Amino acid sequence: MSAAAPRSSSSWRRDNELPFQKLDEETIVLDPRRREVHLLNETAARIWELLASPRSLDELSATLGDEYDVPEAELQEAVAECVDGLTQKGLLIPVGKAPQADPRGAAR
Amino acid sequence: MAAPERSVAGGLPEAAPRCQDEMVVGTEANYELISQLQGKAAARFLPFNVTLELTLNCNIRCLHCYNLDRDEPRHGACGSGSGANADAHKPELTLPEILQLLSDLRDAGCLILGLTGGEVLTYPHLFAVLDRARELNLAVQLLTNGTMLQPGIAARLAAYRNLLGVSISLYGATADVHDGITQIAGSFRRTWEGAQRLRAAGVAVRLKFIVMRPNAHQMAEMLAQATTRDFPYMVDVTITPRHDGTRGSLAMRVTEDQLADLYRGPLRDLLPTGTRPMTEDQFSCNCARGNCAISVTGDVQPCVSVPWAAGNVRERPFIDIWRYSPVFQKIRGLRIADYEACAPCPDKSYCSRNRGAAFNHSGSYTGTDPFVCTTAAITREVVTSATTK
Repeated sequence: MSAAAPRSSSSWRRDNELPFQKLDEETIVLDPRRREVHLLNETAARIWELLASPRSLDELSATLGDEYDVPEAELQEAVAECVDGLTQKGLLIPVGKAPQADPRGAAR
Repeated sequence: MAAPERSVAGGLPEAAPRCQDEMVVGTEANYELISQLQGKAAARFLPFNVTLELTLNCNIRCLHCYNLDRDEPRHGACGSGSGANADAHKPELTLPEILQLLSDLRDAGCLILGLTGGEVLTYPHLFAVLDRARELNLAVQLLTNGTMLQPGIAARLAAYRNLLGVSISLYGATADVHDGITQIAGSFRRTWEGAQRLRAAGVAVRLKFIVMRPNAHQMAEMLAQATTRDFPYMVDVTITPRHDGTRGSLAMRVTEDQLADLYRGPLRDLLPTGTRPMTEDQFSCNCARGNCAISVTGDVQPCVSVPWAAGNVRERPFIDIWRYSPVFQKIRGLRIADYEACAPCPDKSYCSRNRGAAFNHSGSYTGTDPFVCTTAAITREVVTSATTK
């Protein structure tokens, strides 16, 4: 799974119409249209919880960095990979494109 | 474990849960995972599956109805309460009460909400309830006779992304037999049209065949119609006494001879092999552990077919009833040995132990219903005679 894909968007939110419920540390998410059942582990469940409202990867990483004792680069990679996976499963929705780099320079 | 796209209650195959409340429509492809999650929730006493009775009103008048005798006058405008313990004059839950209840269910751990009746599509506030369930991220399954699934209704239902699926009941392979049971001309046609329309709109639909004396001879044709049209189905042979205390529904039960013929014939492949060890876990169901039902008047029950009130949500918060009611505590503590007639029975591995039938017949959750016992005995006879040949 590529960790680069989600960086094409600036922030994500969860699909708030999908049914879900916590069961111990895990979260069950149902997708009736696709006839799919997803069981999110503790970290994915926490990301799902945080994405009740839109957040960027940096915001997610900063919040999770306060909660988990993991090196920053490793955490960012893990968050990006998790967001990518959940997005591909249709559970997360990109809500904004990252601003394109201005070829004429940032000074303008 | 295979997904139980076909199953028979009253002789459940090993792949299927022992309780029909656990057969969640639309999750058949993920049956094993859902079953594990239900088991996990039940082990922690979390109300994962809750069935809510929205109304007792119905647009058909089935002769086998378990709610009430629809040929008799009813108390009040909207029903009489469904529990044997229910006050016949208790008012039905109001919409604001139901909306608050959904929040309470969500907070208590509910994920799957079954909406039933009566006929659930006669409930005037159904879409307000569905809206609230969607806001709360509750998954919904509807139980309906399908006759009111006109194009506009089907499209509206299909727009709910939290709608897991719809269970539609059928009582015959031909209009004369089905309509004879519903006592409404045209219901057979409208039910099939509704089922096909809803599925075409993208909603998972499962058919539920209730086997009765007037339709037993059509069972093979009913199964063939479902298979030809590619609908999953389940089959139920158990008709129970009514929750209003009347027993006229029992006249619809299949005879022993009909049951034996069905089990040797069209239902043979759906029978259990009887090889499943009857452990405490296998014998108990998830009712009062991971499942419960709430009647139209707010009584919290172990399941929709067992009208044994553990408390009423108007008098006590749902979570208190769920956690602390003596009724639910008692059920959670039951062991096989507490079922005096069942414990020594050699047919346990072939038996559904339909608790609704047992409770409504005997008045006791640990009691029995001779029909269920006979069903298990016939199942054992059919299965063992085939394996010893």
